[in-house]
Order: sequence, then C-alpha cells, then structure tokens
Amino acid sequence: MSVLSQLNVIQVSGLTKSVNTLEGNLTILSDINFAVKSGESVAIVGASGSGKSTLLSLLAGLDVATKGEVHLDGDALSTLDEEARAQVRAQKIGFVFQSFMLVQSLTALENVMLPAELAGDHDAKAQALELLDKVGLSHRLEHYPSQLSGGEQQRVAIARAFIGSPKILFADEPSANLDSKNGHLIEKLLFDLNKQNGTTLVLVTHDELLAKQCQRIIHIEAGQLEKISEGVSANVG
Amino acid sequence: MWVKLAGKLFAREFRRGELTIIFAAIALAVLTVFSLSSITERISLNIEQKSSDFIAADRRLSSNHAFEPLILTKAKEFGLNTAEMLFFDSMLFANDELVLGSVKAVSNEYPLRGKVTIKDNISSQPFDVEHGPQPGSVWLSEGLFYTLGVNVGDNVELGAGIFNIAKVLVKEPDSPFFSLSGNKRVLLNYQDIPATQAVQAGSRVFHRLLFSGDDQQLTDYYQWLKPQMKSNQNWQGIKDRQSPLGNNLDRAERFLLLAGLFGIMLAAVAMAVSAKRYCERQYDPVAMMKTLGGSRRVIRNIYLLHLSLVTGFSIIAGFAVGYFLQSVAGEYLAQFMGTELPQAGIRPWVLSAAIGIVCALMFSLKPLLDLFDIPPLRVLRRNLGDTIAISRIHITISLLTIFVLMWVFSGELVTTLILFGSTLLVIAILFGISRLIFAAGRRLGLSPGSSWSLAIATLQKRANANAIQLISFALAIKLMLFLVVLKNDIISDWQMQVPSDAPNMFIVNINENEVEPIKQFFNENDIAHEAFYPVFSGRIDAVNGEEYSRRVSKQEGEEKDEEARDGVSREPNLTWLDELPEGNDIIEGQWFTGGDEIEVSVFEGWREVLNLELGDSISILVNEQEVIAKVTSFRTVDWGTLKPNFVMILSPNMAGTVPVTYFSAAQLSDSHTKGISQLLQRYPTISMIDIKAQIEQAQSIIGQVSLAIGFVLSIVLVSGALVLISQVQASLAERLQEVVILRTLGAKGRLIKLATLYEFLLLGAIAGLVAAIVSDLVLMIIQQQLFAVDGKLHPYIWLLGPTSGAIFVAMIGYFMVANTMKQNTQGLLRKIA
Repeated sequence: MSVLSQLNVIQVSGLTKSVNTLEGNLTILSDINFAVKSGESVAIVGASGSGKSTLLSLLAGLDVATKGEVHLDGDALSTLDEEARAQVRAQKIGFVFQSFMLVQSLTALENVMLPAELAGDHDAKAQALELLDKVGLSHRLEHYPSQLSGGEQQRVAIARAFIGSPKILFADEPSANLDSKNGHLIEKLLFDLNKQNGTTLVLVTHDELLAKQCQRIIHIEAGQLEKISEGVSANVG
Repeated sequence: MWVKLAGKLFAREFRRGELTIIFAAIALAVLTVFSLSSITERISLNIEQKSSDFIAADRRLSSNHAFEPLILTKAKEFGLNTAEMLFFDSMLFANDELVLGSVKAVSNEYPLRGKVTIKDNISSQPFDVEHGPQPGSVWLSEGLFYTLGVNVGDNVELGAGIFNIAKVLVKEPDSPFFSLSGNKRVLLNYQDIPATQAVQAGSRVFHRLLFSGDDQQLTDYYQWLKPQMKSNQNWQGIKDRQSPLGNNLDRAERFLLLAGLFGIMLAAVAMAVSAKRYCERQYDPVAMMKTLGGSRRVIRNIYLLHLSLVTGFSIIAGFAVGYFLQSVAGEYLAQFMGTELPQAGIRPWVLSAAIGIVCALMFSLKPLLDLFDIPPLRVLRRNLGDTIAISRIHITISLLTIFVLMWVFSGELVTTLILFGSTLLVIAILFGISRLIFAAGRRLGLSPGSSWSLAIATLQKRANANAIQLISFALAIKLMLFLVVLKNDIISDWQMQVPSDAPNMFIVNINENEVEPIKQFFNENDIAHEAFYPVFSGRIDAVNGEEYSRRVSKQEGEEKDEEARDGVSREPNLTWLDELPEGNDIIEGQWFTGGDEIEVSVFEGWREVLNLELGDSISILVNEQEVIAKVTSFRTVDWGTLKPNFVMILSPNMAGTVPVTYFSAAQLSDSHTKGISQLLQRYPTISMIDIKAQIEQAQSIIGQVSLAIGFVLSIVLVSGALVLISQVQASLAERLQEVVILRTLGAKGRLIKLATLYEFLLLGAIAGLVAAIVSDLVLMIIQQQLFAVDGKLHPYIWLLGPTSGAIFVAMIGYFMVANTMKQNTQGLLRKIA
C-alpha cells in the first residue's frame, strides 16, 4: 500500500452495487472511485434515490458491494465477514442517523454507553458523562428517549457516535428530522465535536448548505459519481 | 460486560412491559399445568383411595379354592398389608327361626381400606369403625334381625357355633353393588370359622385375600405372583371393577385430561404469539447494536439470557399462582368432601417447570434465531428483516411442540391425534372463512366518517393479522365451549344414571305366589318399584355341542383375554323378558321373534370370550334340566345404570319350564320401615338388599368430581381469557400507530373508541360463531370417541359462542384502547417514534 493510500482513511475503488428485482437486475451504484483523507470532512449529496444512502452503507460495512472495494483504515471490507465488519465498526466508526435510532428501553446515559459496553470498554460511563456534558445534556442523563425532544435525542445520538473516539463518523441526514433551529444546532455540534476529536466525517445529505460546510462534496446522480467539488470550509481545515 | 448490559436491558424491557406478554404466557402455561396436574393428581389420589375403599383394599385375589400359604407370606415379604376373607352360606338359628345367612368371615386386619358402618342397635345412629367383629361375636344385617326376631345382645346359632350378636351391620366398604347372591349378611371373625363347622371339604366357599401398599410394592408383588396364579384365581384392582363408579371415574379422568390438554394448547398459542411479537419488537435494537459493532455472539448471549431470565421468573410466578390456586381449590374440595385431600407429589412441579422451559425454548427459538439474523442495514432501510416475521418453520416448530406436549401430557396418542387434527382443520377452515368474510366486508357501503365504516376499514386493512387473531380468538372460544358442553353433558349424564328417585332397595328371592301380594303391598303403601323380573340360575354346559370348559380354555394363556374371561361366570343369573330393557341396545341380530324355539340375547362382551355367532345354540343346565337356546341377538349393556342387568336374556316362551324366583327394586324411605318389617315377617324367605348407602356414595363421588370439573373448567376459562388478552395486547402496538395518526388528524377519542369497540365486537362475534359451529361438530366426534356417549347438537352454544365472544373480546379491546386514549397525542407520537 502506497504512502498516499495510507493517508487515506477511506479508499473506494470501482464500487458497484446491484440488486435483483422482479424486473431484473438493478444497478444502484456503478464504478464509484474516491478517497477520503484522515480528519477530512466529506459530504455525499444527491437527490432522493440517487444511491447516496447505499454508498454510506457500503462505506460503513453495513452492506457488501457487488464489485469493487472499500478500504477502511487499511481494512479491505470485502474480505471481512459480518462479524469482522462489526468489529471494525466497533473500533473505528461512529454513526448518527436521521431517525436517531436510540434504544427505547435505555436512558440517555445508557444509550451513549452502549457502543463502549458492546466493545467491552470498562471506562464507558465516564466517557459517556463527559460527552453528554459536551452536548449539553448532563441534566437529562436518566431520561428515556420518549421523554426527550427530537433535538435532544439527536444530541444523545451524537454523543453516542463519539464515544470510544472513532476514527470515522458517518452521519445520515442528521438534521433532516428536526426544525431549522434545532437542525442548525445539531449541525454545529457535529462539526465542533468532529474538529475537537480530529475525526473523519462522512455526511450524507441533500441539503446543499450543510454540504458546503464540509471540505469536499461528492455529488452522486443516478448511481454515478458525477463530480467532486470543494466546500466552503475546504481551506479552513 | 455483556452480562451487565443484558441485565440492564432485561430490567428495562421488563419494566416497560415489553416482556409482560411472554412472561404471562410462560407463567400461564406453568400455572395451568401445575394447578391442573396438582389438583387432578390430588383428586385422583383421593378417588383412588375412595375406590380402594370400595374393595376394602388396593388389590384383591379371589378364588373358590384355598390359597397356598406362600401367597400370603410372600406378600408380607414385599411389605404389603394383608387381610383374609372367606365367604360361605350357613344356617342361622334363633327363636325357632331358621334362615340361610350369607357369611363373610374376616381377619382382624379387615378392612385394609375404607370403613365398616355399624349401629349399636336397630334404632340408634350408625357410625364407622375400621375392624370387623371380635372373636365369639357376629354382626348381622338389619334384615336378619327382623327375620330371626332377635336384638343386639342375643345369641344366634351359626352352623355348630353359638355367637353373640354384637352390632347391626349397616354397610361394608366392599359390599357388592349388584350381586343378587348378597343374601342376608353375617360378619364373622375369621378365627371363628372352625367353630361353625360349616366349612368342610367340598363345601361351596369363596376365598379372598386383600392387599394394600404403595404402587411399587403392589406391582413388584404382582410380578412375582403372576406366574404362580392358577386359572381359578382372579387378581383385581380398583379399575377392574365393573361398576357405574368405575365408568364415571374413567370419564372424569378423561375430562380432566382433556381440560389439561386444552389448557396447554391455550398457553401454547399465547406463548407462540407473544414470542413472535417480542422478537419483532427487538429488530431495531438488534440492528442498532450490530451497527454499533455488537458481535453476533454478544447479541445472542444477551437475548438468550433474557429468555432464561424471563423463563425462570415466569416459572416461579407460575408456581406461586398455581400453588395458591390448587391450595384454595384443594381446601374447598376437602371441605366439600369432608376429607383431607392427599398432597400431590413432585410430578406437578417437574412437569410444569419442564413444560415452561420447553414452551419458552420451542416457541421462542425460531423468532430468536431470526432476530440474530437481522441485518445491521435495517438502521438505514427500515423494512429490512420484516419478511422473516412470518415463518413457516416457526409455525411448524410450534405446532410440533404443541403436539408433542399434548402427547406427553396425555400419554394417549389417539386422543392427541383427534384433538390436534380437529384443531388443524379448524385453523384451515377459519383461515378460509376469515378471508372470505373480510373480502365480502369490502363491498359493504357505509357512510364515511362513521365508527362502523372505520371499524370495517380497519378489519379489511389488517386482513392477514385479523385472520390470525380470529383463529386465536376462535380457538380459545372453541376450547372453552368444548369444556362447557362436555361438563354439562357429563354431569347431566351422571345425574341421569343415579337419579334422586332411583330404587334404593333390591328385593330378591321372591316366590311366584308372593309376587302379587308384594305388588299389592307396594301399591297400597305408595312405594315406587321396578318390574318383577323372573330370575333363575343356569349352568352353561356347551355351545354348539362343544363343552364350555374346552371352549374357554382354548384361549388360555392369551393375555388380552385374561380379564375378559375373569368376567365370565359359568353360572350367570338368567331371566326371560318380553321387551328389551332400558340401557340395552341390539347391535346384531334381532329381538325375540316369538317362534317356538327358545331364543337368547347375549351381552356383547361375552360374544368374544365364548366365540359366539348368531345362530349358535347354547346348552344351559337348569336344575339338571337341559335348555337349548338359539343365539338370536347380541346386545350392548349400560353397566353404568343402577338397574338390574343380565348377560343372557331368554325368550318369554321359557316361562313355566323352569322354577324361578322373582327380583324387583323399590324406592323405600324411612317411613316404610315398619311396613317392611311386617312384609319380611310375612314372607321370611325374601331378601332385601339395601343399596341406599351405595347410591349415596355414588352420588357423593359424582358431586365431588362435578366440583373438580367445575374448578378445572374455570382454570381453562381463565387461560382462555389470558390468550385473548395477550392477542389483543399483541395487536395493540400496531393499533397505536393508527390511533396516533387518527388523533393527529383530529379524530375524536369517542370515534376511535367506538370504532375499536365495533371492530372487536365483529371479530369476537365472528370468532364465536365459527367456534360454536366447529365445536359442535367436533364435539359429536369427541363425545362418541372419548366418552362413549351419543353425540348430539347443542343449540345453546350457537348463541353462547357469538354472544360471549363478542362481549368478551370487545370488552378487552375497548378497555385497552381506551387506556391509550388517556395519553396526549404528543406522548403517543414519541412512543411510536
């Protein structure tokens, strides 16, 4: 592996995803190639159905590609089975979802602790308390998701995403389910924490303004990589 | 680390009520099996004890030849208690009166089970004792006091001995039910037999040994005894005895067994539904955990621990509630019976815990395995994994488990097959019907915005889910209706067998010239009585010219016929009759044609043993006179009635050819006592056999068993109710989403509540109607196959099914949804988020 590729925390080459449907074979993503450097923030944009969420699922090892390869911090995902990919996610990846995806039977604190506990980390509670304090929810530790507002739930999800200090953070439309005020707050929090932790951020959105806050923007259209442009923060970081 | 997380998740899920249904279902299975098996075991132990009372022992060995001493010594070596008895007839003499008494000499250990009821004198109150008379004294039955004109304290000559009359014998625990030879009873101490000098070589005597002990000892002893037994020896247990009680107990046992099976089926349905629901609700958390890096092993461990914990808690809860229920029921039954119910052994604990574990494993296994397969991608594609919710494998495993559980619990393959097969048929029919009904519902035009149209729209929308719900409702209602009907039928059948106006006195040994005066006496004193049957004793000599003994010994050594042969007496009581008696049915041939030939109608049970066919001629010796009778019909006989029954009935053209005595039965009350004693004095040769005590005994046991059935039925009803509740609760989550949408769109709470009410009313009524129709048809088969009673339709359940179904299901559904209405819409929105 070259020095250049070692600097790339995500290396995507010839990535193709197709599925069998009743009407025959359907290609969702076709021959995608790009790389993401460590600490970089990248937005994946495209219209609904363009394949951006599928791309995210392949990058995070939630799904497997039909062809091509994703190298994630040196690991070739196609060579790993589901268990090994889970191991990679546990060690290197954090997630923020549009629908928060909190476990309803766990409190805010316990939800944040969950990934660390699954990884067998004994320091989970201290880390979770610190992160919840950072997202401004230290007064909501024992609240269940159903007792929190949407914005608060997403803040819990962000705190959860950063526990265990992941190398890469995947965010899928993190503010789409929130009003604009809460949405902006969440976006700011995400970028701030990302900067503080030096995490690589891969953000899926259809919001051009949000995308521009990233250093680079990958445009996907009808399953093809249309172009890669620079965001407004390209020269800042 | 995962243990801590699993414990935390479990506690939360439990507190949030996510595990309530699964917990309730396992607990329900455990408590149903525990309480049913405990109470049935306690009742059957008690019934067994009572039945043992009826033979005054657990087992008995009878013969008309003396037993080898080894038989008794060996029994003692096996740890059994024993008693000896000898029956013979001997003359009694007192006050210049001479009467033939039926003597029963008993050893000091008699009775091994049950009690002897005696009176200090004719007019005093009866009481129970657990021994026979002391040496040198006798106890006489009441009739003998009148015939001999004696009182308690007088002496009576019995054979060559003189004995003091110490008590009035009211009831022996092992007194025969229908024996016409049960003449005037004299109870004598076994040691006094030589003093009577009545038993000489060649005397007609009957020996009997009584045994009691635990099951293992009795079985071991019988294993030793069996090879030594001679053809004239007969080993009898409680269940071998042909009596109405035996038949009724058998039916009660079958009913309790059936109820137990239904309880298990209901619990199993609840369990299968709730396990599937619970696992479906865990799809998202599992997908999330996998996304966050949780390994399959950790997730599997978490959920297997959940399953173990919920199973453990449910079993404990099931034990607690089950123990409480069976204690209350046991207490109640004990009060009613006036005796302590014996405690059940370890079996109910082991059986119910095992069933709890098996239920938890088998009904949760497939949904759990599916759960582990949920792809992490579900976090992005929310419907991923939904397709595995309906699994043929889960259904197959569940059905197989139910079948095996039923089989293991009942130990009867045929019963299980009938019930299981009929249930499968019901499910198939119901699924078809439900699809048709819901499809037809689409064409119903109702005004938009009304509660009814909303209800029907909801029904249609969830056609599949509703079909499953309908099947569960109908199954629960079906099983409950089954038991209600069977309970009513069985109990009313029993009451018919022992009606309150049943004759309580048999009058035997009536001479032909005494028939008219006795009839007149009965009519003058308003005594209800049966017909006067001519009775005579005949010795079966040959069949088609072949000697009887050779014919019977042909089957010697054939185990299966051993019992049957025991029941065939060579000298049965015979009669002739104009008409087929009540409780008899001709199954082959025809009733007497009125020709010159003497014809005979034979009890079906004897056909196989004697290898008879229609047209065979039976040679019967009556007082050295040979009577040849042609077999013209075979009959079934309902031995369950307290009416006189005969194995051979001859045609009326026998009249006048042989000497006979007459037999009748009457219902006598205490007010007739004086008249009866006058009658006995006037006709001293007639004998009265008081069966009042036996009737009371039978009625009391029927009462107890009816009560037990009522209790078991109520447990099954509760189980059924819980199935309905769990099913409604399972569908509540789906409903919640709709309620939220409707509420958000501004629908009034009243509209939603009424729509729910109507929806459940419709579901309940449809389920109830289908359940009633199917139950009634399947009941006909069950009644004929299992209970040997004529199947008949029960119109009342056609009304009871839909009405109770509609009311019950609507009530549960309404209250559950109404409860949801109390929360504000925002709260509901968050709940489903």
